[in-house]
Amino acid sequence: MVVGDIATGTDLLVVGAGPGGYVAAIRGAQLDLDVTLVEKDAYGGTCLNHGCIPSKALVTASSLVEDVREAEAMGIHADPAVDMKGMTSWKDEVVDQLTGGVEKLCKANGVNLVEGRAEFAGENKVRVAHGGEGQGSESVEFEHAIVSTGSRPITVPNFEFDGEYVLSSRDALALESVPERLVVVGAGYIGMELSTVFAKLGTDVTVVEMLDSALPGYEDDVARIVRERAEGIGVDFHFGEAASGWERSGDGITVRTEDEDGEVSEFGAEKALVAVGREPVTDTLNLEAAGIETDENGFVPTDDRARTNVEHVYAVGDVAGEPMLAHKAMKEGEVAAEHAAGEPAALDYQAVPAAVFTDPEIGTVGMTEREAEEAGYEPSVGQFPLQASGRALTVNERDGFVRVVADEPSGFLLGAQVVAPEASELVAELGLAIEMGATLEDVAATIHVHPTLSEAVMEAAANALGEAVHTLNR
Amino acid sequence: MARREFKLPDVGEGLTEAEIVSWLVEVGDTVSEDQPVAEVETDKAVVEVPAPVDGTVAEIRAEEGEMVPVGEVIIVFETESGGGATAAEEGVEPGDAEGTTATEQAGEAGAEAEPGGGASADTDAGAEAEPETPEGRVFAAPSARRLARELGVDIASVEGSGPGGRISEADVRARAEDSREAAAPSVEGGSASSATRRVSGGEGNEGQQTGGASAGGGAGGPTPAGRDRTLAAPATRRIAEERGVDIDDVPTDLEREGQPFVEAEQVVEYAEAQQRAQAADAAAVEAGGETEAAGAGVSAAGEDERVPYRGVRRTIGQQMERSKYTAPHVTHHDEADVTDLVEARGELAAVAEERGIRLTYLPIIAKAVVAALKEFPYLNSQLDEDSEEIVLRGEYNLGIAVGTDAGLMVPVVEGADRKGTLQLASEMNELIEKARERTIARDEMQGGTFTITNFGAIGGEYATPIINYPETAILGLGAIKQKPRVVDGEVVPRHVLTLSLSIDHRVIDGAEAARFTNRLIEYLENPTLLLLE
Repeated sequence: MVVGDIATGTDLLVVGAGPGGYVAAIRGAQLDLDVTLVEKDAYGGTCLNHGCIPSKALVTASSLVEDVREAEAMGIHADPAVDMKGMTSWKDEVVDQLTGGVEKLCKANGVNLVEGRAEFAGENKVRVAHGGEGQGSESVEFEHAIVSTGSRPITVPNFEFDGEYVLSSRDALALESVPERLVVVGAGYIGMELSTVFAKLGTDVTVVEMLDSALPGYEDDVARIVRERAEGIGVDFHFGEAASGWERSGDGITVRTEDEDGEVSEFGAEKALVAVGREPVTDTLNLEAAGIETDENGFVPTDDRARTNVEHVYAVGDVAGEPMLAHKAMKEGEVAAEHAAGEPAALDYQAVPAAVFTDPEIGTVGMTEREAEEAGYEPSVGQFPLQASGRALTVNERDGFVRVVADEPSGFLLGAQVVAPEASELVAELGLAIEMGATLEDVAATIHVHPTLSEAVMEAAANALGEAVHTLNR
Repeated sequence: MARREFKLPDVGEGLTEAEIVSWLVEVGDTVSEDQPVAEVETDKAVVEVPAPVDGTVAEIRAEEGEMVPVGEVIIVFETESGGGATAAEEGVEPGDAEGTTATEQAGEAGAEAEPGGGASADTDAGAEAEPETPEGRVFAAPSARRLARELGVDIASVEGSGPGGRISEADVRARAEDSREAAAPSVEGGSASSATRRVSGGEGNEGQQTGGASAGGGAGGPTPAGRDRTLAAPATRRIAEERGVDIDDVPTDLEREGQPFVEAEQVVEYAEAQQRAQAADAAAVEAGGETEAAGAGVSAAGEDERVPYRGVRRTIGQQMERSKYTAPHVTHHDEADVTDLVEARGELAAVAEERGIRLTYLPIIAKAVVAALKEFPYLNSQLDEDSEEIVLRGEYNLGIAVGTDAGLMVPVVEGADRKGTLQLASEMNELIEKARERTIARDEMQGGTFTITNFGAIGGEYATPIINYPETAILGLGAIKQKPRVVDGEVVPRHVLTLSLSIDHRVIDGAEAARFTNRLIEYLENPTLLLLE
């Protein structure tokens, strides 16, 4: 122990105040545990500060720009001017309000907040080094601990983040001016969301993707709609090319790529955004001191109670593995805290919904048709195209669909894929249906408000039963 | 040291709450696994709740007399089991099952439940492992899945009764019930290791000792045993009451069901010894010195005592209320000269005893009742109001009202028309015994078509019994007494049985009741007629 260490004790120690960590801390406190939450940076973690929230703010703002610009068919003629500083400060206000809210909620629930970087100093002890040199440190002894340190962007060789020419998603969300030309490395969901944002704000965006399609992991017909829309607003895609290096040139940079055959291409740009994935943050924690194991990718393996190999230590959120989604982290945080408090909680969810905030949005939950087949079901599939939805047309959208996948004999819903405006919201109903063990008939027989996009969910379920009214049943 | 919370288990038949009758341990007590820590009363019985672990009692979270929902933490133990076991875990250590630490990454942006492995436990029964979360899809609401975890049920093993096989909470409960029955003797079975049953001290039997009797200890009187509980037949308890003896103080070596058991002779012996000792004390101390025990266990004069209306008592009350307010009761009274029957039974009892069966009047009277019922089917009926039909029951299932420590219970002898007198006798004896010991199963008290209540065993001539709804008639038997009766113009002593037959006047008219009673009397007065049956 360092001289001057203050030793304190707590029932539940939570390391990292992102969505997994702060939810765990609050739930633990609600269950009368003495909870200590350690955060080195900002309450709310990546999601609130550098991820979901700021990016959604910019998605909304940039879409507004684009919508106004494209509203001539509705008789609106406008040429919006974008003040990026103004947009950024509005976004920052949103972030501040939310992170402040998290801090307040924690305090109001009686969570002890400790600022600093925690590392394990034994099976039941961490040392927290307070920010800055000479700020001292303290030891905290705990009965249970929850590791929720999250993840950080993966770097590509030769593309170290410098915040000026080579940007991480975090840097890109903090830009104070709209770049003229941007090379985006990676066409995953982060790359696609940010490409769409900047393209709508007027940036000339080039996307370089090593694989041969956008949004790998999504079905072709889902990804295609989004890619085509992106192309429509000026995004230039180069598939099968890997970013190999960059150099300064003039005011900007030149990014070099190489395809399978070794053919090199060059793209001039003001900046490059690298969004090729995220990796868990486990290296700063001294997990070995507590005997906590990680896998070859640095993730902390956990069981169905979110426990690590060390019984009284849990891991939740990105650090515990894919899918790296805030809402999955929140659920895990709840379960870990409840289990630590002696509740019979378990991670027994049937599906983790996911959304991509592109244009249009993608919402998915549960199995695709193919996954259902592979799992041994005889899937029955129903689909409803947006062009048959009255509400879709009145919001000036016609690309997209709702698709449901169900077990043929029983009618149980197994999964759904939605490509539509507000798909992230539409998928909620389908998630509930899947968790509840609802059948196609249950969804199809539920009255949905007309005219809304949600009718498409009902119609897709009806279509699977051969009973859709507003589309031809296949 | 680990803390281990213990939740009120579902001690039977999917009940949702139970009353904590008494705590058998205090904070700080050391307990061993399976040691009873509390008595809880359900709507049917009092059961003991055993400790799930070895440890010490850290906290008691429910008050005596409190109604507690199933699943609520009632007691917390400190256990020695190290390894940082989490609170609320079972004694079973996790980690042996496959893939405890293998997080399976959900590959796609979609969604797979995190599979899981080893499990610790939150179940209540004490020794079951915490159920794992199944790997595949489960068609059950999150609430049903949580319930399954609480009850220690593997949701994958539950058969769903909903559309397409969807699993409801009721399905989960049914499954929990099944496994309990399969794993251990049923809750009703009596010999369950985890939830042993006992006859409750019963309201009204406590605090009965008078000041003098409990003075005890004095001049060579027997030392009061001072047990917490004692099993005894109601008749024995009555004697104890009459003699002013606390039955828990009566020394005994006898046991039933592992519990001390006291017989009537022991009570008498103890009471007499007490009286002798008291007389000696009184002589020695002279008058004046009230012994300090006068107040012990007896509420101060003039103060009301409030006894909770719950459990078995409330169930009885609700049943009575329903019957009395639903069926217009009429009670028909008559008497039978059972002198011949008394004689016949005397002879038969000797034969029965050789075969190891105690033959009382009840089985013989039951035979006569069944014979009469066959001729008067409306007395063996049920009114189905929904379909506006009177159901003349094809079965003759005789309910026998039994007074127990907890209150009235009515075990049912099924198919009484198909059974011989000795078989009826042995079945009745067994059922009555089970009812008194509270080991009777719910289904042994269901399906009756006609009930007999033998209040005469306690005393009394006539009563107005309440029908065991939805049956339509009940026969009350008074005490068989010798009375002067006129036979062939002369007054002679005869054995007389008084009868009180209550009927549901919606279904049966008074004349029918009288005719049935007449026929019954005919059988009772001429028991040889039963040979024709």
